[in-house]
Amino acid sequence: MNADVFTIKNLDLHYGTLQALKDININIEKNKVTALIGPSGCGKSTFLRCLNRMNDLIDVCKINGDVLFHENDVYDRNYDVISLRTKVGMVFQKPNPFPMTVYDNIAYGPRCQGVKNKDKLDKIVENSLKKSAIWEEVKDRLKDSAIGLSGGQQQRLCIARAIAMEPEVILMDEPTSALDPIATLKIEQLITDLKKNYTIIIVTHSMQQAARISDNTAFFLTGELIEYDKTDVIFSNPKHTKTEDYITGRFG
Amino acid sequence: MKKNESLFMNLKKSLSFNSKKEFVDFLVRVFFLICTIISASFIFIIIFFIAREGIKPFVTDNDGIGRVNIIRFLMGTTWLEGTVFRSNLYGVGFIIVNTVYITLLALLIAMPVGVLTALFIAKIAPKKLSEILRTTVELLAAIPSIVYGLFGSGVILKIVYDLAKVFGVQSPGGNSVLATVLVLALMILPTITALSEVAIRSVRSDIEKGSLALGATKTQTNFKVVLTSAKSGIFTAAILGTGRALGEATAVYLVAGNARSGPSLGLFQTTSTLTSTMLQGLKETIGIDYDIRFSVGIVLMIIILLTNTILNFVKRRIGKVDVK
Repeated sequence: MNADVFTIKNLDLHYGTLQALKDININIEKNKVTALIGPSGCGKSTFLRCLNRMNDLIDVCKINGDVLFHENDVYDRNYDVISLRTKVGMVFQKPNPFPMTVYDNIAYGPRCQGVKNKDKLDKIVENSLKKSAIWEEVKDRLKDSAIGLSGGQQQRLCIARAIAMEPEVILMDEPTSALDPIATLKIEQLITDLKKNYTIIIVTHSMQQAARISDNTAFFLTGELIEYDKTDVIFSNPKHTKTEDYITGRFG
Repeated sequence: MKKNESLFMNLKKSLSFNSKKEFVDFLVRVFFLICTIISASFIFIIIFFIAREGIKPFVTDNDGIGRVNIIRFLMGTTWLEGTVFRSNLYGVGFIIVNTVYITLLALLIAMPVGVLTALFIAKIAPKKLSEILRTTVELLAAIPSIVYGLFGSGVILKIVYDLAKVFGVQSPGGNSVLATVLVLALMILPTITALSEVAIRSVRSDIEKGSLALGATKTQTNFKVVLTSAKSGIFTAAILGTGRALGEATAVYLVAGNARSGPSLGLFQTTSTLTSTMLQGLKETIGIDYDIRFSVGIVLMIIILLTNTILNFVKRRIGKVDVK
């Protein structure tokens, strides 16, 4: 049996002539939190965007190698990118709620997939908000604009929005870097709760965060995957000197 | 008294210069102030002049024709040339209705076309094509209104005339509500397109990415997220389009047919707007006929002011959700 959600083989990625990812091989385990760490520009966000094909939006981006989602290559000509993105949700660095009501933000994804039934949408909205630990704060403000929420609330709303699609995987690109420590703590608790039902891949600049919430950690440096192991091992007994240098703060 | 003194001291202080540089700086600021006063004062000069001429028909006996009744003037459904008919029965009620009606129809055509064009230029067309299209739209916006008018009377009138025949209507040379609406729609289209395009382009790209990452298609994203996020800017485009449509005279005058009674609601009926009525024969009229056109000008200014106020109010209401 295969507990891997993603299997990446020999992945190369170029932006024009610049090689951003070099021969990446990695397996992402189901229902685990996988943290991607490394200094700025090391390719971790680029790698994350390969998993739901958000790099498609960049014209000059060329990709070689295999990105297998449950053994299907997502870069296959016939692969349906819409269905991929419904199964692999994404949360961005800066909270990006749509300029609509809280309710419409959550219902947006399901509506795009053709869900029209009001009761069903109500249920989806309530469940998603509850799972994202924001229901109590917004249940009386469902018809208010999401723009009026605080930054931390907005980010949890964005997580709820991703959850509303019932994805298998949630990609998070530095989800707490624009938030204050208390909001960050809430998001981290949320991530720990969510991994029971979802596979989470998170890019983070904070080594403490990676150590606190992740099961596995991958260390990227200048487009290469230097080391990938259990988080405990990476932070206590790294095999690579480069990894050790990074986590002990000697560079990056 | 003390306050005045300190004011004087301040003035004196600000007029004593420590260096040549400071003095030059002061002069430049005074120059800016003078420029501002000149440009701002013109609005008052214009309003004063128009109002002075415009109230004459209501307060003098107009060389024996008699005073124009202001209620009748505002509600009236016919416009009789006072010097020809020796009458004071001027009515602009129907012309107000015509003006608003025509503007509304023109917006109804130009808004969807303009916004969708803007969406295409900003989001869908390949880069090269969108640059060409953007330049084209800018060129269209720069065409003077008399040229639109000539195009209208040379081309659109013929088309409307033939179209009227198909419906069994004998249109007077095509001069009609429909022709006016089409010419106006053409004229405000570039304004609406250009402004909507700017509004659409300034939608934050991370909102778009958020939508795509949720499995929405490009089209769903464009309509549900991009357009709704840009709606405040698109509404501004509509406001400016409305302003241009209400205020356009030359082109409208050439295709409206200048009806003297109304209102004209049928598409093939001749019509007249406040602007075309003012322009009609302005240079050949004297006495009350001349003065009354200034009264129409006052009415037009009030209508534009009212429309802008209402539209801005609506804009604030619908744009509320965008407020950061």
